[in-house]
Amino acid sequence: MTPRKAEPSAESGGDPAGEPRVELAGIVKRFGDVVANDAADLRLATGEIHALVGENGAGKSTLMSVLYGLIAPDEGEIRVAGKPVRFRSPVEAVEAGMGMVHQAFRLFPSMTVAENVVYRAETRGTAGLLDRRAAVRAVQDLSERYGLRVDPRARIRNLSVGVLQRVEILKALHRDAQVLILDEPTAVLTPQETRLLFDVLRGLRDSGRTVVIVTHKLGEVLELSDNVTVLRDGRTVARLVTAETTGAEIARHMTGRAVDLDGHYVPGTPAAAVLTVEGLTVGPPTGRPVVDDVSLTVRAGEIVGIAGVAGNGQLELLEAIAGLRPSRSGSVRVGGTGLHGFSAGRRREAGIAYIPEDRAATGSAVAASVADNLAVGFHRRSPLRRGWRLDRSAVRDHARRIIEHFDIKVSTPAVAAGTLSGGNLQKLVVGREMAHDAPVLLVDQPTRGVDIGAIENIHGRLRAYRDAGHAVLLASAELSELMALADRVLVMFGGRVVADLDRADATEENVGLAMAGIPASTGAPGTGS
Amino acid sequence: MTTTPTAPAATPAARARALLRSPILLSILGALLLGSVMLLGAGGNPIEAYAAMVDGAFGSTQWRNTLIVAVPVVGMALAVAVPLRAGVVNLGGEGQIVLGGITAAVVAATVDLPMPLSLVAALSAGALAGGLLGTIPAVLENRLGVPLLVSSLLLSYPVVALASYVVRFPLRDPGTGLPQSRVFEEAYRMPVLFGIGLSAVVLAVVIALVVQVDSRTPFGYEVRLTGHNRRFTEYAGVDVPRMVTRLMFTGGGIAGLIGAMVVTSVPYRYIDGALVVPGYTWTGLLAALLARANPLGAVAAGVFFAALQVGGFGMERETEVPRELSSILQATVIVILAATVAATARRARTRKDTAVSERPSSPEGGAVRTRTGTTSAGEVDS
Repeated sequence: MTPRKAEPSAESGGDPAGEPRVELAGIVKRFGDVVANDAADLRLATGEIHALVGENGAGKSTLMSVLYGLIAPDEGEIRVAGKPVRFRSPVEAVEAGMGMVHQAFRLFPSMTVAENVVYRAETRGTAGLLDRRAAVRAVQDLSERYGLRVDPRARIRNLSVGVLQRVEILKALHRDAQVLILDEPTAVLTPQETRLLFDVLRGLRDSGRTVVIVTHKLGEVLELSDNVTVLRDGRTVARLVTAETTGAEIARHMTGRAVDLDGHYVPGTPAAAVLTVEGLTVGPPTGRPVVDDVSLTVRAGEIVGIAGVAGNGQLELLEAIAGLRPSRSGSVRVGGTGLHGFSAGRRREAGIAYIPEDRAATGSAVAASVADNLAVGFHRRSPLRRGWRLDRSAVRDHARRIIEHFDIKVSTPAVAAGTLSGGNLQKLVVGREMAHDAPVLLVDQPTRGVDIGAIENIHGRLRAYRDAGHAVLLASAELSELMALADRVLVMFGGRVVADLDRADATEENVGLAMAGIPASTGAPGTGS
Repeated sequence: MTTTPTAPAATPAARARALLRSPILLSILGALLLGSVMLLGAGGNPIEAYAAMVDGAFGSTQWRNTLIVAVPVVGMALAVAVPLRAGVVNLGGEGQIVLGGITAAVVAATVDLPMPLSLVAALSAGALAGGLLGTIPAVLENRLGVPLLVSSLLLSYPVVALASYVVRFPLRDPGTGLPQSRVFEEAYRMPVLFGIGLSAVVLAVVIALVVQVDSRTPFGYEVRLTGHNRRFTEYAGVDVPRMVTRLMFTGGGIAGLIGAMVVTSVPYRYIDGALVVPGYTWTGLLAALLARANPLGAVAAGVFFAALQVGGFGMERETEVPRELSSILQATVIVILAATVAATARRARTRKDTAVSERPSSPEGGAVRTRTGTTSAGEVDS
């Protein structure tokens, strides 16, 4: 009944090459008319780090959900140690040795690390009560063995994202996971935290476990993994040995075409200052500000990048400039106009457009149609407005123009925006905001979670927008993105601009250190201080 | 007018299938079925009872009674639906209808005007009073962050008490021992044309206006988008607080107008409790929720509930079945609807969790998440 597998220790881990530890064969999963997995295969050996890559919507997450027992496949077979199994729930998958670290952590914020780790696998003491001391000891043992430094008694809500991820890994290890699945594990980490994570994962591999990382970052795939499986349109299109392949080859399999991976940064030609921010401070009237005395200037024909780990004030800075968040002090000017006391609507009229971080929660109304989403901001002016009425056919024409110009893949403008893929929804937001032709464009994480094709597209658009003489302020947690686009890089940490680097000084090392709050030795002193 | 995510295709077959799967039809059929079971259990004949109910509501002369009840119910449904379209829950209908009614009564008792002007004055005064009362919670929320849902509800109690005082003392008809005003002068009586009260005509105009603004104007478009995602329209530069104030003025104004029209119709006097006891506000609220704030849907649902009530009396006369069955059916419709909507939302959520969890978590609250999702009342509109 329960497919409890024979525990292969690290020494006996030499499975015969023809017999993988876990195999997914011919997995098919449909959601209504959408085929998420179409004969997807995956073979995982003992003691390897396996990268599962593919563009958004390629079926990676669905395949991992099948492996973890979250969804039942319509067709196909899961084999563990050669024996077919069926997981009716994650509980059964965990019993078979699977472990999963989700992108959105599933932890109880008010409880301690140890309590979270042992949850549902507790050691019970007298009278069936939770043995807290045993829990703490178990966590200490594990964290020492695998170099996952965590205080077992700390409360979850007080921990940083990097530490939370370690807790999730500990949780899986505590259940003796032999196959550890990590979904986009580096999305929220600093470069330094990423390196630490990679060391831990290598250690796990060397102890005979199987590590699966689901990712779309090719650099990580090449650096970390032993083998790669590429999914495209729900199908396994390539199985590669990492040492024998290149990033370009993997990208070609992912997209089905040749992709230019080099960021090809082209310098802009900055002119007069357009956006000037001076001493901007944002936060509650008393207490620590989230944006602390930030000053910056963006010139026409220039992209200024803001680097920083998510949550260091970038979002709040952009929202304050856009008028969505009150500022405590400081000034924002566009051209010669001071924007003090301006609402978000008046700031838009003064020449600010904004591509927000979260395209679904802020940048669109997913239940409304694509046409309605594209009309926003244009709907009170001619030609969309005719007299007192909103001209429905003008709204449709307006939508068609943006859809065509920005290459958004959608059958008709009448479908709900929520049915678009992440990349297409992002193009919708980018297209609408650029269509305003505003002198200042604020951009926050423009390519988060979108596929390679869309990244290329959006990067090209941002460059073209700059070259048309607009000022662009771009916040991104992806260093590669800033390297591909920014003419100047500011680094935010703890709400302050801690580094203001010219293109030449903005090396990965310098930016990475500043992102972690360590002052860079080179580079100009921060403007803010 | 808006496309729903579940029905992208527009072929007649697909539309029919979507309608069959629609939670509204499902809940109505479910309620009728449950009602049948109860009737059978009590030894009644469901077909006979339902037939008597339909006849009682839409029979040769009965439809006029239904119309009389439908006017306040539909009006109060709109009073809720107009703000709800933007996700704003107006629970203050009771205060607004009562204030509108008592204001019209005061005008009728104190101002001497000739015929058309008199009614225009009474109805506008009632609508204005209801509208202003509606804006108070909006301003409180915009300026001070007091939850509108709570303040609109609580404001009703002092207003209802005030109206009660006015009709028991200054306006009281000394000729009777009851808490009611004198019968109004001829000039303050809503005329009846071809068996249809002028109230129904006025309401029809209001419905037409609301539907036009909702579906055809930039403002209506902003309101609908705000109902979908308030963050989004704020981000796009819409002054949402001002919109909330306007919607609450409109909603309260419609409620006040209804109060004024009920008072100036038969029996042409303000009777304490006459606007509260029949539960127009709450039936209207249910209708607006059932229609998910769609104005035409709210009208249809309001007529449906009014027909249930009036039909219930007919059924009680014709068969042995008590008219409480109407209330049971009405409640069951809502309960089944709420359950199906919540279940659909949950299914959509778990599917999103597992299949398309490719969006990284936000660093603030989203990073730490437990599996226990909560369903708020707002999700009815999702």
